[in-house]
Amino acid sequence: MIPDCPPETRRGVMARIARSLFGVTAADALLAGATHGAAAGAPAGPARAIVTLFMRGAMSHLDTFDPKPGRPEQGETGTVATRTPGVAFGAALDRLARRSDRLAVLRGMTTQTGAHEQATYLMRTAYPTIGSIRHPALGAWALHADGRRGGDLPGFVLVGNANEHPGCGFLDPALAPVPVADPKAGLENTRRPAYLSAENFERRLALADRIDRDFRAAFAGPQVDAYDRLYGEAVRLLGSGELGAFDLGREPQSVHERYGTSPFGRGCLLARRLVESGVRVVEVEFGGWDMHRGLFENLPARAEILDRAMAALLDDLAERGLLESTLVVLATEFGRTPKINDNAGRDHHPAVFSCVLAGAGVRGGVVHGASDERGFAPDSGAVTVADFNTTVAAAAGLPFEREFFAPSGRPFKIGGGGTPVREVLA
Amino acid sequence: MTNHPVRVLVVAAAILAAGAAAGADDPPGGKSRAPFRSRAVPKERPQSRPGAAAPTPAPAQASGDGALVTRLPEVVRQAPAGPPMEVAPIDRARRPEVNAAAALIDDLIDRASPAAARADDAPLDDALFARRVYLNLGGRIPTAPEMVAFMASKSPRRREELVDAVLASPDWVSHAFNLWADTLRLRDAAQFPVYAWPYLDWVKRSIALNRPYDQWVREMLTADGRPWENPAVGFQLRDLGMPLNYVDHTVRVFLGTQIGCAQCHDHPFDDWKQREFYEIAAFTAGTRAGVEQYRSTRRGGTEPPSRTRLNLRDLSAEYQKLLVGKPKEELPYMGHLFMQHLRANALSIDNGPHDLQLPQDYRADDGRPGDVIDPRVPWGEEPADAGGLDPRARFAAWLTSPDNRPFARTVANRLWKECFGVGIVEPVDDFRAGNPPSHPELLEHLADLIVELGFDTREFVRVVVSTKAWQRRAVSHDPTSATPFPFRAPVLRRMTAEQLWDSILTLIARDIWAYQRPPYEAYALLGGFDLGGEGADLATAIPVFERFQKTLSQHAIDQRLRHGMNYLDVWLARASELPQPSLAGSFLREFGQGDRETIDGRREVATLPQVLTMLHGNHGRAIIDDGSAIMQALLANDPDRAIDVAFIGILARPPDDADRETVTMVLRSAPTALDGFRDVVWALVNTREFLFVQ
Repeated sequence: MIPDCPPETRRGVMARIARSLFGVTAADALLAGATHGAAAGAPAGPARAIVTLFMRGAMSHLDTFDPKPGRPEQGETGTVATRTPGVAFGAALDRLARRSDRLAVLRGMTTQTGAHEQATYLMRTAYPTIGSIRHPALGAWALHADGRRGGDLPGFVLVGNANEHPGCGFLDPALAPVPVADPKAGLENTRRPAYLSAENFERRLALADRIDRDFRAAFAGPQVDAYDRLYGEAVRLLGSGELGAFDLGREPQSVHERYGTSPFGRGCLLARRLVESGVRVVEVEFGGWDMHRGLFENLPARAEILDRAMAALLDDLAERGLLESTLVVLATEFGRTPKINDNAGRDHHPAVFSCVLAGAGVRGGVVHGASDERGFAPDSGAVTVADFNTTVAAAAGLPFEREFFAPSGRPFKIGGGGTPVREVLA
Repeated sequence: MTNHPVRVLVVAAAILAAGAAAGADDPPGGKSRAPFRSRAVPKERPQSRPGAAAPTPAPAQASGDGALVTRLPEVVRQAPAGPPMEVAPIDRARRPEVNAAAALIDDLIDRASPAAARADDAPLDDALFARRVYLNLGGRIPTAPEMVAFMASKSPRRREELVDAVLASPDWVSHAFNLWADTLRLRDAAQFPVYAWPYLDWVKRSIALNRPYDQWVREMLTADGRPWENPAVGFQLRDLGMPLNYVDHTVRVFLGTQIGCAQCHDHPFDDWKQREFYEIAAFTAGTRAGVEQYRSTRRGGTEPPSRTRLNLRDLSAEYQKLLVGKPKEELPYMGHLFMQHLRANALSIDNGPHDLQLPQDYRADDGRPGDVIDPRVPWGEEPADAGGLDPRARFAAWLTSPDNRPFARTVANRLWKECFGVGIVEPVDDFRAGNPPSHPELLEHLADLIVELGFDTREFVRVVVSTKAWQRRAVSHDPTSATPFPFRAPVLRRMTAEQLWDSILTLIARDIWAYQRPPYEAYALLGGFDLGGEGADLATAIPVFERFQKTLSQHAIDQRLRHGMNYLDVWLARASELPQPSLAGSFLREFGQGDRETIDGRREVATLPQVLTMLHGNHGRAIIDDGSAIMQALLANDPDRAIDVAFIGILARPPDDADRETVTMVLRSAPTALDGFRDVVWALVNTREFLFVQ
């Protein structure tokens, strides 16, 4: 049947259609999950939102957060003193150096593999790649355990490429990140084309639903359900006034300049707008760190982009009072060799590297752990990838000690069952 | 390889003509100032997104009754003039053998299945069978006329006939190319200064001619020369300057084995030793990409630098002088492109004697840094007849040998996965003791089969899709369930990005091959000149460069798509003919096309932007344009018959009674027949039934 539309508000019509077409809406399912998670007694952490800045390709620790001035391994990278006594950063991180009182730097990070794909997967999920299961990324865990906030916006947004992201793993597909390939374009195809009237759109949706009923019944399962949910979610979002959160055009030019007009700078600005609007988890990818050659020519410009964007993000969140409830994570998959190779680059180095935390739940002005004098291996305060993810989970108030079960019955923990680094937690 | 000289000349002439036409589109102020005529070159990369909806508001506005103003390009509104390419014919006489081979596979599956697994067996009706054949072998949905022809066939062997017809069609070539493009990481923009295009076309041609897999792999691993003369060098050039990554990728793609970790240390989960990695790498240590690497004094030889090398240097210097006084804005761009073109004419793969030494940070105690390593195969024996060959050729002979079981198992498993949706070993490039096959006996049988077939991959697929198992109704399967898939039927799959795009194109365009990438021979023909000859000078080189810029350069090709095939920034060409890969954020990438940096990087994960694209993307508008293939078919029929055409043309099945009742109601309440048809077509495309392959 194609029902006549009663005179409701457009918004109400859309929500009703979403409900009637797609049965239970994604929001209902998520709310149910949230109640469940809360009932399990999560420790009260202060972070309500998480922004992860993922440096893809393996950011050199020696040239950013763990320089070794005076050593031959340092190469051409200079240093800059930070506000934290006795702590220096690579010269290009000037702005972050002046904000080091907000940062907790982990210099004893260590991982299991020097292969990008596997190490990136490990950093994002806290579990190694295996064939028979896909593990959820931390952002999906956060939504699963803690629900997403109200509103029509997605709970987890990825500024970058969804193909290589573990996404929701074995969890509900509705918890997968919504990818935004180009932050400047925002979330595309959210405007109803001019030729398509609202009535037409609704009639077509209802018709599609009617025709599709038999197929959906015959092939009910995670894959088909995922699209059912997403159609419901899309229709709800299309009628939402909150879509403006994705529109960077609403920010003045001066703000754009402060973040930088690089895709990463725009990604950080988008992250701030989304967090302001209630999005629970945002991950911003920043590639190009795999500097096997010409590192000293290429790294300063890249680090400057990072420095500018992350400093602006921290400033804006602080100014709006959101840094108290937003955890900012800077991560990468592994480090780079202290030895400078024949092409003036550095190769893959899983033994030691650096990550950074800031904001909610985190003690600022702290350096935890140290690499040895060459920057080759941890000397003290070694932190595994599971420890790191567990620390993030703890700062975000997620139940990292609780066991969750995959559909196959296997138990998993948020953060991979590591030990949180108490020294960097507030 | 067979050449098609006549076709190439015809295509080259057509490209030249099109290039001249594109030249006429040069913006004002960019008129010719010899010798810099290729002024249409933009200063920035184009913003258009192939196969994608534009972020900007559409230029066309709705008139009062919702009519569409924009018109589809004439070339796609017409029926195709002829077949787009030659495809090797299939041997119909071999059908009985194919069916016998398929029965053996069914036996193996039956023997491995517990009784409970058979309870889900369900037959697939003919219409859904045809849809699966077109999608899984041809990469697109069938058109309504194709479905009607199939359903009307009285032949008792019509299923077999359909399989054989699709496997011998350009659709198979396009689809198989997409699969290999994902595995081989095929990119238009390879490492500077390589033009990868000829290589991409060579891969496609190898599929079209149905060359045995072991042969074209061996050719890629041993190719020498310039990309334009021998496009197969593209495979080695893909990892230009990264010889150890090349070894890692080659072993992973063709032998399903991941040895990359052993580059730096003994493998953590497998029993690979670091030394073994270097023993394999030693086979290809003498492969060099550059300007006649083994003929220059740089390598310590006594020969004088080659003529090519000298000419490259001299012509570059002369060109720099010519640039003095030219308008500022075009200098860097033109200088860069001309240099690339010169170097592309000079660059080649050369193979010569070269030792491999253990690296300075070698960790294992079975060798010391600096030790010279002799090439050694990691398992089995080098074939006896490879003895007299150079190390690289010995490696290729061993790798592709019918006795090298991992080579046969890997390709058999890959092709099996393409048919059933799940591999017997998963992931398909991670064969090792700790990751055993779910059906070992079946895997060995399939490896035997591909060897028996002489690595005829198309014939292998022909056998697999002729099994009873493949012809059953698809089943849902959760790949993370940790339970082995019984292979009693294919798994239910979402269309790949390319299948979905090509299916949408099938609804839009009557001629889905209206645009085709140029054949590789055209590159040497239009862009090549002899840099090593006595007469190589700027007066010869510049006109060739300019001709190339207008005809085959990335920009010229983009222009042809943008001007000729464009509907609101949706480029109406098959995925295999569009830029490789499509830009980030495009329709294809949104639906999971790989970035071609990761081996087998494509994904079929559901995301919200995909659904927003299906609801509001400009491709949807093209589908309901009254000149689209599906709308033309509907408008040519009376309403009742049009309902059949819509369902058959989009879902490949006739409507059931309830469908017909609902749709009739919609058509009656619509202001015009056209509006009603648009509602119906739009709705059918936005069903899960459309999106999935049953």
